Amino acid sequence: MRPRFDPVNIAMLYMLAVVVVALRFARGPAIAAAALSVLAFDFAFVPPVGTFSVEDAQYLFTFAIMLAVALAISRLTEDVRVRARAQARLAVEAETERVRATLLASISHDLRTPLAVMAGASSGLAESGERLRPEERTALARSLFEQARKMSDRVSKVLDMTRLETGAIAPERDWASVGEIAGSVLRGLAEPLATHRVMIEVPDDLPLLRVDAALVEQALANLLENAARHTPTGTVVRLRAERQDREVVVSVENFGADLPEADLERVFAKFERGTMESAGGMGLGLAICRAIVRLHGGRAWAEPIAGGGIAFRFTLPVEEAPAMPPEPALR
Amino acid sequence: MTATRPTILVVEDEPEIRRFLRATLEAEGYRIVESPSGRRAAIDAATHKPDIALVDLGLPDFDGIEVIRRIREWSGMPIVVLSARVHERSKIEALDAGANDYVTKPFAIGELLARIRAALRQAVRPPSGERTLAFDDVAIDLEARTAVRGGVEVHLTPIEFRLLGALARNAGRVVTQRRLLEEVWGPTHREDTHYLRIYMKQLRDKLERDPLRPRRLLTETGVGYRLAAED
Repeated sequence: MRPRFDPVNIAMLYMLAVVVVALRFARGPAIAAAALSVLAFDFAFVPPVGTFSVEDAQYLFTFAIMLAVALAISRLTEDVRVRARAQARLAVEAETERVRATLLASISHDLRTPLAVMAGASSGLAESGERLRPEERTALARSLFEQARKMSDRVSKVLDMTRLETGAIAPERDWASVGEIAGSVLRGLAEPLATHRVMIEVPDDLPLLRVDAALVEQALANLLENAARHTPTGTVVRLRAERQDREVVVSVENFGADLPEADLERVFAKFERGTMESAGGMGLGLAICRAIVRLHGGRAWAEPIAGGGIAFRFTLPVEEAPAMPPEPALR
Repeated sequence: MTATRPTILVVEDEPEIRRFLRATLEAEGYRIVESPSGRRAAIDAATHKPDIALVDLGLPDFDGIEVIRRIREWSGMPIVVLSARVHERSKIEALDAGANDYVTKPFAIGELLARIRAALRQAVRPPSGERTLAFDDVAIDLEARTAVRGGVEVHLTPIEFRLLGALARNAGRVVTQRRLLEEVWGPTHREDTHYLRIYMKQLRDKLERDPLRPRRLLTETGVGYRLAAED
């Protein structure tokens, strides 16, 4: 029986198969494929056909070459694969390094500025305090205080972010009222929010939530602070909460800022600031807000409001609150 | 308040903080005793018999909370905690150990002075506290259990009166949730914080001008509540 192809060419075909396997898969399968094709070639094409025995000793040479080539190729492709992986890892490391460098630059800038003001104001007071007019003295001391507060706030934000990221914060869940949290936030932020018209809408029948109230307060405070910082003085900031099925949606809506579509998601990343940002802040507020909300099983996002403005929203899951016994039952 | 200058024991390990506290508090007319450690504080509190103690929570030798416990073993002097920790838990622990109030670092001196004054006022009040309570256009008689707002009688339930009474006895100071629950509903309801949320809302709806922006019945989130009866 004379096959249409010369057995050598058929051997080449088998080899091609081995190369393909070596390229696609790891080393083990390539060697297995080489061995298998040698056996199959022997069985099907090497006289006597239909057995594994070999008539012509020449074919042993062919087998050896097939195996050697398969091994070499699998070895080479493996090398390439390893190198590609290393390169990818290097790229990730370089990116992390780049992010870290930007981050460090941004932190140190944000911390240095208040430090510079504090050093200047305090040395001015210490060295020429008595030559200053009293109102100038007071103004310098005030700015010292303001900058110190700002700096303390920024350091806390960095610490909070780190603690949230490393999982060092375990939420202490308790029944909490969104209305109460909102009231507390507005009181705490009375000063920064004094420049805006703040409206608050919390329905009377909003369910209590099982959350860490202090953390949620912080998430909400960050949204309000952002609104005060990035929208023009005198514009409206609306704080709203409403129930939607199994969640409560808390929104801070402003009508004085716009964000390009592409930035809606980006602003939630650490140390990212909106493109028009110049008003200070670490670029951590939204990242912290999202981390806190996620810790509670909710989502945080930003969306444009029809007619202009941006809504920052987050959800918190609703759990069934235990019933409150009617008052006469309590003594 | 005594006719002489009230003495403040300042328990704080950071010399720079002690320095500015001494300077500003002396300028306000207080006498200052400084304790740089918890161990010193226990001794100083006994020997100097201060009118009030300011205790930093992060002391090198033992925790500020331990200082509060030791002082409370023999004295009812008002204690205001200075806490650098933002953690609610340490504030609650300090309050439960017997502290009267806390100020979170960094604080403005005005804030601290207000807390000191409130705590000292508290100390000279008879333990039963005031029988009546008045703010804005609201007048409440806790004993007769009547409440009037803008000349119109407001109906408060017995529990609402009890809750208001517990806050009024500690007016100006934060009262922990646990303590309110124990005082109003009893020790078995210590964990039923949802009672507080519901009843505080009811009280605000009845007594606050803007219940969503309370000015009198204040929440110290995660810690407790504070009645701010004075402006």
